[in-house]
Amino acid sequence: MVRLRGAAALAAAVLVLSACGSGAETPPSASAAQPRVLKLWHYETPDSAMGKAWAEAIKKFEASHPNVTVKFESKGFEQIQKTASMVLNSDEAPDIMEYNKGNATAGLLSKQGLLTDLTEEAAKRGWDKLLPGGLQTTAKYDDRGVMGSGNWFGVPNYGEFVMVYYNKDLFEKHKVPVPATFEEFTAALDTFVKAGVTPIANAGAEYPAQQIFYQLALTKAQKPWLAAYQSYQGKVDFHGPELTYGAQTFADWVKKGYIAKNSSGLKAEDMGVAFMNGKFPMMISGSWWYGRVASEVKDFEWGHFLFPGATLSPGSSGNLWIVPEKSKNKDLAYDFIDITMSKDIQNLLGNSGGLPVAADPAAITDARSKELIETFNKLTSTDGLAFYPDWPAPGYYDVLVAGVQNLINGSKTPAQVLDEIAKPYEDNLQDIGN
Amino acid sequence: MRVRTRGYWLYLAPSLVLFVVVVVVPFLMNVGASFTRWSGVGTPRWIGFDNYARLLRDERFWQSFQHNVGLIVAMAVVPTAIGLVLASALFDYVAKRFGTRTAATLRAMYYLPQVLPVAVAGVVWGWMLHPSYGAVNQIFHLDLDWLGDPDLALATVMAVMVWFQLGYPVVIFMAGLQRVDPAYYEAAEIDGASWFRKFWHITIPQIRPEIFVVLLTCTIAALKVFGPIFVLTRGGPGNATMVPSYFSYLNFFQKSNVGYGSAVATVLALIIIVVTFLFLRVQERAQ
Repeated sequence: MVRLRGAAALAAAVLVLSACGSGAETPPSASAAQPRVLKLWHYETPDSAMGKAWAEAIKKFEASHPNVTVKFESKGFEQIQKTASMVLNSDEAPDIMEYNKGNATAGLLSKQGLLTDLTEEAAKRGWDKLLPGGLQTTAKYDDRGVMGSGNWFGVPNYGEFVMVYYNKDLFEKHKVPVPATFEEFTAALDTFVKAGVTPIANAGAEYPAQQIFYQLALTKAQKPWLAAYQSYQGKVDFHGPELTYGAQTFADWVKKGYIAKNSSGLKAEDMGVAFMNGKFPMMISGSWWYGRVASEVKDFEWGHFLFPGATLSPGSSGNLWIVPEKSKNKDLAYDFIDITMSKDIQNLLGNSGGLPVAADPAAITDARSKELIETFNKLTSTDGLAFYPDWPAPGYYDVLVAGVQNLINGSKTPAQVLDEIAKPYEDNLQDIGN
Repeated sequence: MRVRTRGYWLYLAPSLVLFVVVVVVPFLMNVGASFTRWSGVGTPRWIGFDNYARLLRDERFWQSFQHNVGLIVAMAVVPTAIGLVLASALFDYVAKRFGTRTAATLRAMYYLPQVLPVAVAGVVWGWMLHPSYGAVNQIFHLDLDWLGDPDLALATVMAVMVWFQLGYPVVIFMAGLQRVDPAYYEAAEIDGASWFRKFWHITIPQIRPEIFVVLLTCTIAALKVFGPIFVLTRGGPGNATMVPSYFSYLNFFQKSNVGYGSAVATVLALIIIVVTFLFLRVQERAQ
């Protein structure tokens, strides 16, 4: 009797579950008038240029899709970075998500079959026409997950690059002209050091120090080296002139006092705050600081310039909109990307301190934003975006953090550091395509 | 008798099921993953003992275990030693001279770091140890890069961990001292024993079970320490403060190298099991 009752309960449970299952499998687009939900995740803060632009895009989307509600969830960069593959492999995946670009991130997910191929949509909706060549690099990935060729697996709609922020008041006080060449730049650094001022704000525990090291290597690098390093189109000699110059010069800069010896344990926030408090004349970092510097610096005049003596600068497209393979509302996700590419949203992005890719130049009215966009256009017109040093291999960010910290502390020679960073790079080469 | 035993099993069944589901199955899955090459998605590829062979050759892995030894000293040995003296002083001297309320207040103050979330404590220590504007350098007129200098970083993390852990043994030992028969101390006092003699011959032997528990739990905590390293140094500078759990985490989440990360986690779990077993055996013998 007990068994019979148990069997009946089990049968009922199976029926209920299968009913749920069949309900869930009903295509959401069965009826156009049926209410639908677009699940969207991104990690931009509400006061950033992108945060403002995406909030407006959500409003526009809901206005043009009356039967659709956007269910937006704000996530942390690290949170998405660390869990993306597991989330996208589950049934909890959003319909559209912002994700970091590069081989070790979007490339890895595309290789794992977790991202929707957007090639057809990019052509149909004209996204491929809106993005200049250099910016398309991070949108496309081949079968091995290597960027630059293959199918579209993401759509970037803003840009970013590394530049030199400078404190105009401190430059004037120490009678330092804005440098146009590498020699003038080092002369400026010497002037500050002689006056007892450490010229460059730095942070060794996070990305800033490795970007300075990479920028120094880029002063000696040409396009073929970049293609080899970032896209594995050739062999990279870690003791070749580019990286040797980067490591050696970085170590020399620490010895000469251009970079503080006690900056190896500092985080990017420490660097930014120190510059914004007027403690350093220069900060070599990305355009992602631009809006914040503009709104927080009140006590001194500041400006920016591209790193002198280099045709290449760290930089790329911004993060990507990706559509998970398991998205249940791909059509809506494409519509949303389309809206973020529209002139209105791109202009808003530009006027909020961001770097739009498809804005109307005449509509950018903010003087500082205009200046930033002009520098970015100068860089993209010469195809000068060199991506970031940690892109070539998964986990390479930490390898570079550790390596550059050793340069700051002087605990290892530049040659030893280059050996240390070469090994994980070479190991990864064997993994590509596996 | 047989019926009675069955009855006990019925009560144990829920926790047994929970133990199997929450501990045994994930652990076995982790062991299984450690024999594969797997990015966390797709089909894992069986590679036998390759990950373990790689571990044996991996300098970073062995380095991380060396740092673990330092952290066992900082999180288990030193807090136990200081905790014994403090608990004894609070119980024997402060409580008698200044009242139990004063002793309880001091005990709570020692315990406060244990109540603080590790992230909060880590961020605050990060500020205090900042090389430019940190309170520690300012107060002592120093110019040291506490967390950024590879020669100092591990010692600094160890010092922070002593501060963080100290309250735990103090609370446990004071609770232990409550159950020691006061007659022992009275007899010793009549015999004219000094404080140190009472501490050595009465306090320590009487609260030996508590000392074992504290040493065991703190050693396990030190072996699997993650939070303080994540907040304070992220394993740096260089790899000066890398520990196995953070090393495993890097492989899991940064490198998508789930197979290798699982091998690290498996070795760490086995070491913790062996250490626990040895502690329990020693404790059994001592009793």
